[in-house]
Amino acid sequence: MLFLGALEQGLIYGLMALGVYLSFRVLSFPDLSVDGTFPLGAAVAGILVFRGFDPILAVLGALGAGLLAGAFTGVLATRLRIPGLLAGVLTMIMLYSLNLRIMGRPNLPLLGRPTAFLRLSQVFAIPRGWEALSIGGLFALGLALLLFLFLKTELGGAMRATGDNPQMVQAYGMSPESLTTLGISISNGLVALSGALASQYSGFADVGMGVGTIIAGLASVIVGEILFRPRGIAWHLLAVLGGSVVYRLAISLALRYGATLGFTASDLRLVTALVVLLALAAPALRSALRGETG
Amino acid sequence: MILRVLEVTKTFSLGGSRFSALDNLTLFLSEGDFATVIGSNGAGKTTLLNVIAGTLRPDRGKVEILGQDVTRWPAQRRAKLIGRVFQDPLRGTASQLTVAENLALAAKKGGRGLAPLLSRGRRRYLAQVLASLEMGLEGRLGEKVAHLSGGERQALAVLMATLTRPKLLLLDEHTAALDPANAEKVLAITEKLVAEHRLTTLMVTHRMDQALAVGNRLIMMHKGQIVLDLDEEEKRRLRVEDLVGLFRKVGVSDDALLLATNDDGEKGMMAEEAKKLAHLL
Ligand SMILES: Nc1ncnc2c1ncn2[C@@H]1O[C@H](COP(=O)(O)OP(=O)(O)OP(=O)(O)O)[C@@H](O)[C@H]1O
Ligand SMILES: [Mg+2]
Repeated sequence: MLFLGALEQGLIYGLMALGVYLSFRVLSFPDLSVDGTFPLGAAVAGILVFRGFDPILAVLGALGAGLLAGAFTGVLATRLRIPGLLAGVLTMIMLYSLNLRIMGRPNLPLLGRPTAFLRLSQVFAIPRGWEALSIGGLFALGLALLLFLFLKTELGGAMRATGDNPQMVQAYGMSPESLTTLGISISNGLVALSGALASQYSGFADVGMGVGTIIAGLASVIVGEILFRPRGIAWHLLAVLGGSVVYRLAISLALRYGATLGFTASDLRLVTALVVLLALAAPALRSALRGETG
Repeated sequence: MILRVLEVTKTFSLGGSRFSALDNLTLFLSEGDFATVIGSNGAGKTTLLNVIAGTLRPDRGKVEILGQDVTRWPAQRRAKLIGRVFQDPLRGTASQLTVAENLALAAKKGGRGLAPLLSRGRRRYLAQVLASLEMGLEGRLGEKVAHLSGGERQALAVLMATLTRPKLLLLDEHTAALDPANAEKVLAITEKLVAEHRLTTLMVTHRMDQALAVGNRLIMMHKGQIVLDLDEEEKRRLRVEDLVGLFRKVGVSDDALLLATNDDGEKGMMAEEAKKLAHLL
């Protein structure tokens, strides 16, 4: 049960991790707006379902809202030349108020309402109890495949080059600003989609559900890289999803058995942040141990 | 006329005071010109290339390519007409992409469609092009550029910059960061590609021997102006020592120039003097 739950969550939150991979790894843009776009997805999809719209339509609405919010961060960073971190924080803060307005209250209960999982599992005739796993997996793998195909196109290749060397991209006739904006937009679209599915999975949308999204996303990306050592884009995307599953499993285990060690749910973010910190500091620590400088 | 830089001035402010990195500079390049550009540090060579490529906007003056006024075009729009290689091999290529992907981006200059970056046909074409470098890179199409040596990377950058036969090729000390053997190789590749595609080229170099041996025109810059412009014939008669002497002459005039800053007449006279000197030599 614990494993099934972690697998389901890992796939649903894996969409968010794919988005973080796109901004953080592909574009080298540490985008904090995801802390706002994850609950944005939940809020938009939640209120649409609440008002009686089809849950699949609601999820698509969340995707659209995420794409827009990401494009906004991209424009702040590239056209208005606001430093990337700050651009993300600004979007995140604005979204906090906006999400409250969208939902009209801090918490929107969705239990008993139709979900995209149920709707789609009817379409594919999936047996009861397996809806979240199969539909979550369909979304995660389907979007990972789409993202893979995209990154192999001319446009996607140019986007990868942008994170690497924007001057080269410009010298070859493309605008690094537009490519960055497009990439951040797609990234936040994925994150909002993930937020929408997560809220339907857990049965509520909450304005506070986005706190720490970026850290959880980074942890998934980094855990995937360390565990699976992927080579090539396809393996990298799968490793991110794998990392997300492992991360959710670790959290479930911590919550289940952590109490005996005096560990509570409120310590979760501290531990996660420490793991990310260690992973990010690893290269510097390694060279410091070898006595290198700089 | 491929390139016309008309009375371009670019001023930077430096700690409150302002000085001109380009001072009312005019330069024409005809089709097939291969001009080497020399000049002391801070003479404005890189600034000139930046203004031509569009990564810097001039304060005054105009840049025309093929008769079109491109002064207000952003760099990425001009890129379709211009190929560029920088001093730093890291700047001309994307290190996390493969050799083939880098070349494909260069071949699809300005393209941003949803077609696959690497089709089988394009891969075969790129392997052929790479083989012409004779550096054995054609067997490493799938390798990340980060794994190439500086010389290999710069050779790749030159190939990429010339792949779409740009109207104008801008090279900024593109062999300066390489060891002598690799510098020779990359220079040889550059000369071969420029000749093959008859590219109009502006090549900045800090090596007098290179400036004399390569190309069919020589330009010397000093304090944001062109102080010497030799055609093929004049260039052939010049030896490295003559050039070094000329360089000194310009350098020595620095003091006089400092006494009369902003006296354009004085600078103009200096240019005349250098020109006369060149003919005497
Ligand atoms: N963005 C800038 N801001 C301020 N000053 C600048 C800028 N770019 C160039 N300069 C100044 O303009 C002058 C000309 O610089 P430029 O880089 O064109 O010289 P250069 O001829 O290429 O020299 P080098 O041989 O050292 O490469 C220098 O004094 C430089 O410090
Ligand atoms: Mg320079």
